[in-house]
Amino acid sequence: MAGSRQIERAAAAWLARRDGGDWSPGDQADFDAWLAQSTAHRVAWLRLQAAWNQSDRLKALAAGVPPGEVPARGAWSASPYAPRGEAQARRQEDQANADQPDRDEDASAVAAPQPNAAPVTAIATASPIGPKFAPRAVLRRPRAARYAAVAAIAVMAMSLLWGWQRYGVVEHRSYRTAMGALDTIGLADGSRATLSSDSRIEVALSRAQRHVALEHGEAFFDVAKDPGRPFAVDAGARRVIAVGTRFSVRRDGPDLRVVVTQGTVRLESEPVDGHTQPTTLLPAGSIALAGANGVLVRSGSVEDAERYVDWRNGYLVFRDTALSAAAAEFNRYNTRRLVIGDAAVGELRVGGNFRWSNAEVFVGLLEQAMPVRAERLPDRIVLHSR
Amino acid sequence: MDTALDAWFADEILVHEAALVHYLRRVWAHVDDVHDLRQEIYVRVYEAAGRARPHQPKSFLFATARHLMTDRLRRGRVVSIEPVGDFESLNVLVDEVTPERRLGARQNLRRLADAFDLLPGRCREVVWLRRVEELPQKEVAARMGITEKTVEKQVAKGMRLLAEHYYGATQSLADDAHDADRNREHGRKQTD
Repeated sequence: MAGSRQIERAAAAWLARRDGGDWSPGDQADFDAWLAQSTAHRVAWLRLQAAWNQSDRLKALAAGVPPGEVPARGAWSASPYAPRGEAQARRQEDQANADQPDRDEDASAVAAPQPNAAPVTAIATASPIGPKFAPRAVLRRPRAARYAAVAAIAVMAMSLLWGWQRYGVVEHRSYRTAMGALDTIGLADGSRATLSSDSRIEVALSRAQRHVALEHGEAFFDVAKDPGRPFAVDAGARRVIAVGTRFSVRRDGPDLRVVVTQGTVRLESEPVDGHTQPTTLLPAGSIALAGANGVLVRSGSVEDAERYVDWRNGYLVFRDTALSAAAAEFNRYNTRRLVIGDAAVGELRVGGNFRWSNAEVFVGLLEQAMPVRAERLPDRIVLHSR
Repeated sequence: MDTALDAWFADEILVHEAALVHYLRRVWAHVDDVHDLRQEIYVRVYEAAGRARPHQPKSFLFATARHLMTDRLRRGRVVSIEPVGDFESLNVLVDEVTPERRLGARQNLRRLADAFDLLPGRCREVVWLRRVEELPQKEVAARMGITEKTVEKQVAKGMRLLAEHYYGATQSLADDAHDADRNREHGRKQTD
């Protein structure tokens, strides 16, 4: 049987020929014969024809377009032909989008520390105090000293304040999730972190830096753009740095996995035996595995990369994955563990999307579809070859 | 030719194509198979409906999809349990992510316009001249300085792509439509 795409092409060719006009009864007979050959032909034809018939309505867009002219793409998004509310909504949205960068810039301008402003004003207001309020000579010295001290303290306080503004800690907290729990945290800088099961991060945001330590587990970061303040995630000897992007970092003992689904991140490693390690740039769609022997980067589609962070929606996604690895994955989320009973069972390959909260369904499917026997114990399920 | 069946198929089954494709992509590991699967599902549904129309076309469509995947599996296509992945939860998911495709005339036009705008340049021009202005093939060819055969090929291509965007809708299209709906609801009280 021909592939579905081939059939679709054939159906389209028939329809286009008939549409072209030069269509004889003989052609019709041939076409009918082709249609009658299989239901696959018929449904392909039916689908194309139904859509083509629908496209007749495009004529409604022709009003106001001079004959023989093809309107520009999207010409009608703001036209009266588009539903009014929608056009309005779009316009508003466009406006909102157009406003956005400005607003951001304003915000950063306000938030951006102005290094010299604070100390200068401090001195300007503090120094006249001394001489001006020193009326009597006798008292001058101690008073002057006192005023000087006050001024010094004021200056110090101001510069401390400035320092705090510049480098001060805005947020310093640690977050953790229990086994089988996910949590999304909004950070003070507008970034968001989603913690996978049994994970822990330490967040230190200051006005100059954004710093997160991944203690264990996995976290997905949706980083708010801020070129002046890179977002760095430390995990053991490695560091992942981003400006505004989305990526996940996962720690498995000494191994690290970085998945980038938007933007570009930089992966840096601590020097080994005094040798600096190369820095790796990871564009969207990259999956980097960093282990004792270096960094392995796989670049694919963003869609592919996103599968690796499907756990955020409650799913584990396997593609031709060894059962031992799949079981380990489930064990990250559940206290009732899946245990590989023998080597052969661990080597079976599995695929599919599974709710990580439902290891039981996964085991049931294994029993149904694969040579697997499950031994169910209260605290664990042991998988054996059958 | 059973035109009532054909009409039923277009109205009750094809309208769920985006949801179906989304579902298949989620459960079936081999994305390349989705086109074939979709067609085979349509064949089964069409043939079954020829004998007796299912009461709940959408459920029937998805049930057929599941059966087909299980069958493929049993035929030993892969030593894996991929397509069977967690049916119960996916059933729920399917209902959640499926905006019904019963569109009002305006939404319908919007979808068509979007689908049309996604056509490649030359294809788009050919479709416009043929379909909207209804110029004869010959004249389209003359105007664009291409052969009639090329016009025909572009029409064929346009048909396939329009169907793909209009029914199947890439996920992003479906999401956009969904978002637009939501925006509208937020933007003002629903007047319709």
